[in-house]
Amino acid sequence: MSSKSDAKQEREIKIVGFLCNWCSYGGADTAGVCRFRQPTDLRIIRIPCTGRIDPLMIVKSLIQGADGVLVSGCHPNDCHYAVGNFYARRRMEVLKRFLPYMGFQSDRFRYTWVSASEGQIWQQVVTDFSETIHRLGPNPGLHQTVDSAPAVSWF
Amino acid sequence: MDDKTNALREHVKGIFSNLELVLGWEPGYDPLHTRPFYVRTESDIDRLTANCLSFQNLTRYLAKSMNAVDPAADGRKIGVCVKGCDSRSLVALIQEKFVSRDRVYVIGLPCRGTLDARRIRALVPDPARIRSVNAEGDELVVETDRGISRFALDRAIARKCLQCRYPNPVIHDVLIGDPVTPRLKIDAENPSVAAVEALSLEDRLLFWENQLDRCIRCFACRNACPLCVCQNHCIMETRMPKWITQYRNMNEKFMFHMIHALHLAGRCTECGECERVCPVGIPVALIKEKINAIIYEMLDYESGIDPEAVPPLLTFSPKETGI
Repeated sequence: MSSKSDAKQEREIKIVGFLCNWCSYGGADTAGVCRFRQPTDLRIIRIPCTGRIDPLMIVKSLIQGADGVLVSGCHPNDCHYAVGNFYARRRMEVLKRFLPYMGFQSDRFRYTWVSASEGQIWQQVVTDFSETIHRLGPNPGLHQTVDSAPAVSWF
Repeated sequence: MDDKTNALREHVKGIFSNLELVLGWEPGYDPLHTRPFYVRTESDIDRLTANCLSFQNLTRYLAKSMNAVDPAADGRKIGVCVKGCDSRSLVALIQEKFVSRDRVYVIGLPCRGTLDARRIRALVPDPARIRSVNAEGDELVVETDRGISRFALDRAIARKCLQCRYPNPVIHDVLIGDPVTPRLKIDAENPSVAAVEALSLEDRLLFWENQLDRCIRCFACRNACPLCVCQNHCIMETRMPKWITQYRNMNEKFMFHMIHALHLAGRCTECGECERVCPVGIPVALIKEKINAIIYEMLDYESGIDPEAVPPLLTFSPKETGI
């Protein structure tokens, strides 16, 4: 336990946020304009639409040591390009269920929908996600060498 | 000469004038292997074989080595031999318009399981000198320089075959041999996936790291996969975008397999070719089997069954909620 809390203080938490240009990026802007207090862990990458999200971007972020990945876009039925987030929703849900199978903590990845006017909701989302990641601590990443591994026998 | 091979040759002889070529198997360089074979002339037909060593999935040649979309000038078709699992890959290729159904003549071969050369070598006393391999009923008889070994067929067949749910081709123009009873029900849980899931989260990571650490990125799994159709545009090798570096470390190995698995999400038909060709014995197909299980649970979809269906990650439904 003590080692875990030590590790927490070793470096600051970094969360990668992929935000859709039309809704969530605007929502984050609204939150800023309204001067809502927000955690500073989030590094925002602006994307044209959540339909642009390749699940591999999320996987790559986690493998390369991002402590959390947050994807946020327009609410379903409100996509600027009509259907982008419908595609994204399926892909991200498959990924979310798949991550624990490979040994990743699925709590490190979250997807959500926030519109441009929802500054307050954005504040809640980002505060809540940041708290979750702080609770999990820094992402240890992959082991570069494996000394002993559990055996699995299927047949 | 077994009955299945004879029946296949007889059938191909009867229809060969209507076919441009037939994709089949011929005996390989040792008794443990067959190899893919293009039957181009009448005299080639007598080299065709079909038995429990016919493990290659021939549908990949349709997508990667020839044009199986546009009809031939003389209207002749491409004949292709498929087992149950191969037929699902063929359906997936038809769905994605890499193969046109009218262009191929599908010769279906119900399959009781294909042998795994690696498992056989582990079972016999003198694996370097195997003279013959024969399936007799539920027994496998292997003759080596040190005598004859007999063991249950189930100990020597591939992992994917032990959990086979589609031993009979889902599409075919002709069926050679009698249909086989599937080993598992269609909605049965995948036993190998369940075995991995029984581990704790930390152990699962260690398990996969231990497996993937052996990867030498030879790309055999990608090349053997009938549905890895990007060829020169594959993002493993492109420098722009650069997803993978040439550093030899765990991050790159892990990323490579995640790319392969996620590009096959909702498309993989579990033919097990990636796993069979892996030179270092990584259970590559096991990653994709989990994604298939997720998609079956979430969207009630199985790849390679209905030629008219659209793979679920290439479409959407506005009505679905809660995901």
